[in-house]
Amino acid sequence: MRSPLRLPWRRIVLGLALPCVLAGLLALMAPHPAFAQAHNPFGVGISEGGESDDGLTGWLLQQQALFERHLSAAVRAAKSDGSAVWTLMGLSFAYGVFHAAGPGHGKAVMASYLFANERALRRGLVLSLLAALLQGLVAILLVGVLALVLHATAQRMKDAASLVESLSYAGIAALGAWLVWQKGGAFVRTLRAPSFPALSASDLSASDPHRHKPSAASQPHAGHGPGCAHGHGHDDHGHGHHDHPSPQRLAGLGHHPSPDGHHHDHGAGTPHVHGPDCGHYHAPDPATLGEGFSWREAILTVVAAGSRPCSGAILVLVFSLAQGLFAAGVAATIAMALGTAITTGALACLAVLAKNLTVRLSSPGSRRGVLVVRGLETLAALLVLGAGLSLFMGATSLGGA
Amino acid sequence: MLATGVTTLPDAASAHPHVFVVAREEVLFGPDGRITGIRAAWTFDDMYSSFAIQGLGEADKILTSEQLAPLAKTNVESLAEFGYFTVGKAAGKQVSFGEPTDYLLEEGSDKLVTLRFTLPLKEPAPANKAFTLQVYDPTYFVSFEFADKDPLALKDAPSGCSASVAKPRPLDTGDNQKLSEAFFSNMSPGVDFGIKLASRAVVACP
Repeated sequence: MRSPLRLPWRRIVLGLALPCVLAGLLALMAPHPAFAQAHNPFGVGISEGGESDDGLTGWLLQQQALFERHLSAAVRAAKSDGSAVWTLMGLSFAYGVFHAAGPGHGKAVMASYLFANERALRRGLVLSLLAALLQGLVAILLVGVLALVLHATAQRMKDAASLVESLSYAGIAALGAWLVWQKGGAFVRTLRAPSFPALSASDLSASDPHRHKPSAASQPHAGHGPGCAHGHGHDDHGHGHHDHPSPQRLAGLGHHPSPDGHHHDHGAGTPHVHGPDCGHYHAPDPATLGEGFSWREAILTVVAAGSRPCSGAILVLVFSLAQGLFAAGVAATIAMALGTAITTGALACLAVLAKNLTVRLSSPGSRRGVLVVRGLETLAALLVLGAGLSLFMGATSLGGA
Repeated sequence: MLATGVTTLPDAASAHPHVFVVAREEVLFGPDGRITGIRAAWTFDDMYSSFAIQGLGEADKILTSEQLAPLAKTNVESLAEFGYFTVGKAAGKQVSFGEPTDYLLEEGSDKLVTLRFTLPLKEPAPANKAFTLQVYDPTYFVSFEFADKDPLALKDAPSGCSASVAKPRPLDTGDNQKLSEAFFSNMSPGVDFGIKLASRAVVACP
């Protein structure tokens, strides 16, 4: 039974939220000048602006410019005064926070991946931290191997950085293709499924009931009327229809058993009855989230989003090296990566929350709701693929000017 | 389809600068009193300078312009695509430049690298109406700034010519608002920050 009071609101919020999510993902990528820009004559081999392309306010632009100027002063200071390394690290950390506070393809890829796949906040945070650290590590390795060990010229370093960049773009395209295959397939399967429940068959494994903690601890879920669907926070994984609890227990909670109702074991032993269409959603316990998650996919995402070094880190490293203080440059780069992780982590939170909100609002129990979620996942996957392809073509000049 | 859609989205002039250049420009006059070219001297910041000369020559020795000649050639050649980051206007009409000549890179005793090159005008421009000169990177990857001291010189100019440099007005709140509105509606600010932050040099002759 649909509640006439609740559903219109859900649709309205969903109607407002979905364009926002999509616009957000697009906005993250759209201003990336690499889409339209050749390599700057004074670039360091990374097409334009490193990882940071903001433009929201002139103030932010000027702050970042100031930070970068202060960085070289701090490296100089560290030459004569060892304690200035702490100043340098502090500045680098702040630079990382600011630097990441704008659209960039790495963030777009991570956000799209998380939106398409991820439901666990903690893992989203870990993935974005890993991507940020990888970004710093690539810069350290690039400068360490080429400049420190091989004494390569700027031109060779540019070539190497461009190569790394092209490879990372190819990685994004590969990740996007994989996600489109996975998510698009699920979308098409849902579309072709003759009737609701669309999450049955392959998605609902009757022989594999799983446990999950109720989000509201020990609260019995007594607020749902009969005929209420119970949506779970697990991709591609439904829950089995268990034996119905005895009428006596239900009567005690004021539930009326319905033919469609089913009961889950909530670990705490709380009886829980829903039917279709109520859209009740539980945030999953991260501890139980092993299913539907592929480390291979997650690692590919980290590599795709984080393997392109940022121009600022390369410049600080080379400058530190020229000053005979390569270690200070390494410390600065790590601090920069941690600062970046703060900002990208916040974005990861947004992506995961947006996904959870979308699932919650789209009546996960209904066929239409499943279609909406699968469709959005497919769109996010297409965005990753499109971004990867156009960045790769731009970087390798396959796409013309 | 989606890929092309993303590719054709307008690029926002939104990078923040990684390279900082202090520019000194010289306006060259012909015997007839018309402007024939621009001589640029761009000094790079310490970080980019150390990157540019990385791996060249011996450590702790100042490089000679001969050692830096291949790099200078690469630089001016790749600048062509970007219009040499230089915009000259005679009486409001944009002038076009020919191939750069007399280019060289030099490393100063302060280890800062300076790129010098001459940009000949394809057709000499009159200077009796205001001639304006701006040096900027529209993508704002490179931040250009006129030098505080002697930013603009006139060479072989007729007597009575004057030169002045107007610093950019700071980005005001109106710009910021316009930017964010535009950002959220079009995903493109529609304005070049590079030019908004660019100084304008003006040459006026009688």
